[in-house]
Amino acid sequence: MQYTWKIGGEAGFGIMTTGLLFSKIAARRDHYIFDFVEYPSLIRGGHNAYEVNVSDEPVSSLKRDIDVLVCLNKETFDLHKKRCISQAKIIFDPEVFTPEGDIIPIPVPFTAILKELQGQVIMKNTIALGASLAILGADLSELNSIFEKQFAKKGEAVVSLNQQFAQKGYDAVMNANKEHVISVLGKKETGKKLVINGNEAFSYGAVAADCRFYCAYPMTPASTVLTTLAAWGKKTGMVVRHAEDEIAVINSAIGASFAGARSSVGSSGGGFALMVEAISMSGITEIPIVVFLSQRPGPATGMPTWTEQGELLFAIHGGHGEFPKIILAPGDHKEMIELTLKAFDLADIYQVPVIVLSDMLLSEAHMSIQYDEIQGEVNKYVPNRGKLIASADETYKRYLLTDDGISPRLVPGESKTYYQSNSYEHLEDGHTTESDTERIKQVDKRALKMQKYMSDHFVAPTIIGDINSAQTVFVGWGSTKGVASEAIKQATELGKKAAYIHFSYMYPLDKNKIKTLISDSSKKYILVENNSEGQLGKLLQMEIGVSFEHKILRYDGRALTREQFIEKI
Amino acid sequence: MSTLQDFTGYKPTWCPGCGNWGIGMALKMAFVEMGMMPSSVMISFGIGCSGNMNDFINAYAMHGLHGRAIATAVGMKLANHKMPVCAVVGDGDCYGEGGNHFLHACRGNHDIKVIIHDNRVYGLTTGQVSPMAEKGQKSKSTPSGIIETPVDPLALAITQGATFVAQTFAGDTKHMVETLKKAFVHTGFAIVNVLQPCVTFEKKNTYAYYMQHVYKLDAAYDPTNKMQALAKAFEIHEEKYPLGVIYQAPRKAYHEEAVADITTPLISQTRFQDFNNLVEEFI
Repeated sequence: MQYTWKIGGEAGFGIMTTGLLFSKIAARRDHYIFDFVEYPSLIRGGHNAYEVNVSDEPVSSLKRDIDVLVCLNKETFDLHKKRCISQAKIIFDPEVFTPEGDIIPIPVPFTAILKELQGQVIMKNTIALGASLAILGADLSELNSIFEKQFAKKGEAVVSLNQQFAQKGYDAVMNANKEHVISVLGKKETGKKLVINGNEAFSYGAVAADCRFYCAYPMTPASTVLTTLAAWGKKTGMVVRHAEDEIAVINSAIGASFAGARSSVGSSGGGFALMVEAISMSGITEIPIVVFLSQRPGPATGMPTWTEQGELLFAIHGGHGEFPKIILAPGDHKEMIELTLKAFDLADIYQVPVIVLSDMLLSEAHMSIQYDEIQGEVNKYVPNRGKLIASADETYKRYLLTDDGISPRLVPGESKTYYQSNSYEHLEDGHTTESDTERIKQVDKRALKMQKYMSDHFVAPTIIGDINSAQTVFVGWGSTKGVASEAIKQATELGKKAAYIHFSYMYPLDKNKIKTLISDSSKKYILVENNSEGQLGKLLQMEIGVSFEHKILRYDGRALTREQFIEKI
Repeated sequence: MSTLQDFTGYKPTWCPGCGNWGIGMALKMAFVEMGMMPSSVMISFGIGCSGNMNDFINAYAMHGLHGRAIATAVGMKLANHKMPVCAVVGDGDCYGEGGNHFLHACRGNHDIKVIIHDNRVYGLTTGQVSPMAEKGQKSKSTPSGIIETPVDPLALAITQGATFVAQTFAGDTKHMVETLKKAFVHTGFAIVNVLQPCVTFEKKNTYAYYMQHVYKLDAAYDPTNKMQALAKAFEIHEEKYPLGVIYQAPRKAYHEEAVADITTPLISQTRFQDFNNLVEEFI
């Protein structure tokens, strides 16, 4: 069963912290969650909302209906009542407004409690959490222990005060509305779960991958990679640098990579736009770099705090001139960790830029994942640095022509030799050249690397659902996986025959492994993307020669929903 | 011990008489006199006539992007702070395209040595004005004369936090060598602005012009006096060019605060593997 709790209120009053606490409590009580936040690009004012979908089974998207809505102001009810189920439970402050309609009102005297305990407005969140846990059949044990840890440094009095607010909210429900309590958050024992968002998953993967240098300039929705890695810096030893602009960001990271450190950068589309000249340099100098690109609706400043998959083709074509690069687009949080580990290896093995595509939805939504599912993978991971070498003799050539196009890459400092990495076209030894024959040799050498990638590392799209029986086959990429998986599950339960083909290895593409997947004339293929142009569709047209007659394209800044899939089957 | 020959790469393609020849020779001489080897230094080259030195001098080097040599050098230093790092750049490269990086590298006091070939023109693109051109200078890109006034690089560096600011002249090899050596001994962001005639595209700032307008700071000059250093920097407006270390101050270099374990270069540190420690905050 899936059950949606949502809280809303004025921006700047702790909604995001409260929502995340709710998710963590649900996960601590061994339920699975998927959550997402709605907020304007403001610090104060405007409407904030946080929605958590709680489930007995792994869950990877939000659902259509809201079961419990916590309204810290009237606007919350007005904005979200249309998504509430019949007899949805509405938690509200009777001193502020009274909700009407086909609902179960759960009044909680927020204002009165604040007065009684002389609390600040922000404590409404704590009251709301207490009330929410009560109505969903949980006790306050997890919340109380979180307070003990969170406020340990501030002393017993602060811990106790927070606990009192939560208790007041809890009691308000239990005293007056006990008959409406539903056992959603009963405690189970299914193993430790992490509540992690996509940016944290990338950060965690980067540390596990032994990335030693991360450089960025803040840009929503990529900024929290910078802040997460910076917060960990003292522990991990990673040098995390907030540089003056995105151009400095990537050139510094390429400098660090040249010197031998695994290096990475991150931004959203606007910052990425400033980086593309250096991505091209990474291509010709053959210096590895991992670029985290979290998309948001563009063009230009666009809608900073909303979601879109609008930069697939930009990522693929980012960088002037012709050079190989690899684009990966993880579909969910677990895949984000796996593909981040892979991205650092691929950058080193092929000495190319590797772009990891995320978007606002994947970057900021939290998902619960079983810790043991990733712990093993991370612990057994050993960085594969490809042909990176620590010593060489006088005959060393940085751009040596080899059978696979990949030349040994020497860490600067070996005393027997030296070399230059050159952004000009160069000879095998790195010196600048304008020779026609040498030019062809180096262009071909760089291109050759991707032939090896195709045979050794390219992974064909994954299939969700039974493709053999499916009449309708959806085709998508990146964060669409979450909602598509849920939609296919739901469709199957409804007796409908559908499947989903998911792309994570976006570029380059192996034509032979893909064409057969989308060429059964008895099936209806539907392209599904969170953009207006159908960029994967264009890519497949260009690379594979297939085109899509049917499309679901969403570009209002909101995430795709299961219902958009279901109604097309 | 190294020799000049160890550092000597391809034969330069610079114009006969270009100041770059002297700067290239002085840099090699400074390396040799400091006992360095081509394998013991990292150089980040910008793009321009100055950056073309990449093929003429031997070292672990990157010939990167126009304007970005300082940014690249910042990364090199943080990854391996045991190796000296320098950036070889032009005035258009460093004060124009790369102006933002210059400004912030001063603030950060990154331990890199920036050698600016200040010839007041864009030589490689055939003579357009650089940010160092005098107001009114005519060029292909400014046929009616440049409207902007020039950058004052020394004053800019001093006010933005550089801890070593020096000026020297491409016509005085001995002075260049001594100044470069002082820059390499300094820990922190060091700029050496080299006054360099462009014999092909710049007709005013010739060797003869500089001979008349440069002078060496005497032994009594105190480079730690910031206001006095600024006064020296401002002499550019009177067409007077002091040569020597104009300003020097002690301050921790960026890597000394950014690299957690300063005893070991970042690239040689033990891999962090306590992943359980990190996931606690996700529970």
